Amino acid sequence: MLELSEISKNFGDVKAVDSVSLSIKEGEMLGLVGPNGSGKSTLLKIMLGITRPSSGKVLFSGKELAEKDWKEIRKKIGYMPERVNFYDNLTGKETIELFAKIKGGDLGNVPGLLKKVGLENAVDRRVGGYSKGMRQRLNLAQALSNDPDFLVLDEPTSGLDPVGTKEFYNILDDVRTRKKLTVILSSHILAEIEDKIDRVAVLKAGALRAVGSLEELYSGFNLPLKISIALKEKNGTLEEILKREGAKEIGYKDGHLTASIQREDKLRLLSAVMEKKESFVDLSIREPNLEEVFFGIH
Amino acid sequence: MVFTNAVRAIAHKELSDKLKSKWVLVIAAGFAALTIVISYFGGATAGVAGFRSIDATIASLTSLVTYFIPILALTLGGGIIADERDKGTLEIYLSSPISIGEFIMGKFFGLAIALAISTLVGLGISGAILLINLGFGAIGSYSIFMLNSVVLGLIFLSVSFLVSILFNERARVIAFTVFLWLFFAVLYDLGLVGLLIITKGTVGNEIFSTLLTLNPVDVYRILNFLSIGELKVFLGLASVELPSYMKTPVLWAVSLLWVVLPLIASYRLFKRRYLA
Repeated sequence: MLELSEISKNFGDVKAVDSVSLSIKEGEMLGLVGPNGSGKSTLLKIMLGITRPSSGKVLFSGKELAEKDWKEIRKKIGYMPERVNFYDNLTGKETIELFAKIKGGDLGNVPGLLKKVGLENAVDRRVGGYSKGMRQRLNLAQALSNDPDFLVLDEPTSGLDPVGTKEFYNILDDVRTRKKLTVILSSHILAEIEDKIDRVAVLKAGALRAVGSLEELYSGFNLPLKISIALKEKNGTLEEILKREGAKEIGYKDGHLTASIQREDKLRLLSAVMEKKESFVDLSIREPNLEEVFFGIH
Repeated sequence: MVFTNAVRAIAHKELSDKLKSKWVLVIAAGFAALTIVISYFGGATAGVAGFRSIDATIASLTSLVTYFIPILALTLGGGIIADERDKGTLEIYLSSPISIGEFIMGKFFGLAIALAISTLVGLGISGAILLINLGFGAIGSYSIFMLNSVVLGLIFLSVSFLVSILFNERARVIAFTVFLWLFFAVLYDLGLVGLLIITKGTVGNEIFSTLLTLNPVDVYRILNFLSIGELKVFLGLASVELPSYMKTPVLWAVSLLWVVLPLIASYRLFKRRYLA
């Protein structure tokens, strides 16, 4: 659907984006992750055609877009910028009607859209009285106001509390179940998006460091698993077994014996530990999360 | 492109903002009050109070308008970029299926209508009082004066768009707006007078008149002077003989250029700056 080919963007001497090549498939949800200043927002703006790359190409359905083509493409794009306060003097309904008119959306869909994002009881209230969470919902509603096929979300849950964040993703899931949407989602809160995305692209200092599904990244980087054993009482036997079987970073925390183990050692180590099952009450093995993959890359 | 749905939506939003916030009402009332006071006390320095002839009144009001409307229009349009950027809505506009031209024209039409309404209502109220007291024979001159005043507002509104895009931070926009206002309303004419003094009047009429057209405030003054005829002295143009080509249509064409050229420059600069 969308392809970036060797995209670079310089601001003076600063290289904000450095030779990024990336394909976004129709209907997928791609997470764009990286620390602040890694070039995520600049890359999103290049995808939207509101920042021109210094070099490289943006292709939609294999076609490089001329300036006039962008206007047509944008009819099917919804963009949710990171921070939008909107107009304090307009009501929620007036705000979405304004953007629907500008984007060529159907005004008849506005009440349903506001209901979809959970603002049905605040449609006639001025946005000046909205909370941060309500403004983010309104921001999502404006991004959806032209019934887009392609949704670009820049740090959509920035500033939301955990409840607000959960609600936001529930709304997004609901929208995606009703319509096939291609979504690009940027975030620096990695744990927040790892169970929602199909693929992830990791940016650091403007360069693309990794791209693929979580499974591909996990196996590609071969990160260690985390084992945690809840002990009946502290003893050295299990620690010795872990050392013998090649575990690393062995330590004790809150009555638990913890360590890192390689994936290929897992079954052998488990068999060895189970021989001493009388000395612990519980055991868990955790996969590395995206954050660990991400920092592993760093 | 001019009246697309997007242009109408943006213009409607800008106009309704100014109506809802009572901006139009306050400015119109202020205009009416000021013009009535100046019309009544315009001859106070000569020991006379009361409504004078319509020509003398227009001359007095011209001085008021040359200070009041430029600063009003400059501040009105100075925030079009900074405000949208601060609210975070600029990126939404840029990512929408509208052209930069539509964005600028929508903003311009909305604010221009708000400015025109407040100017026409404000000057219209005082005009009605004047005409009731002085007779309706001067309705033509006064109508042209009102129209010229609206055009002056449009010129500075257009210039304010350029300033807003040139200096996209609010503080810098305000600072430059005040400087521009001072330059066009006060300093430019002082400079011309200085030029006459330094060159001992050897600057030709043609050059001097051309220099006058480079300042929209002077174009406005001359347009009013041409409509009322014999009041050069009130307009500070007693020492200038205007060349024969400097007729009302030419000056209106110059005014139109003053509206259009800053908008074109705004469009080009906006495109270069925000789609860089």
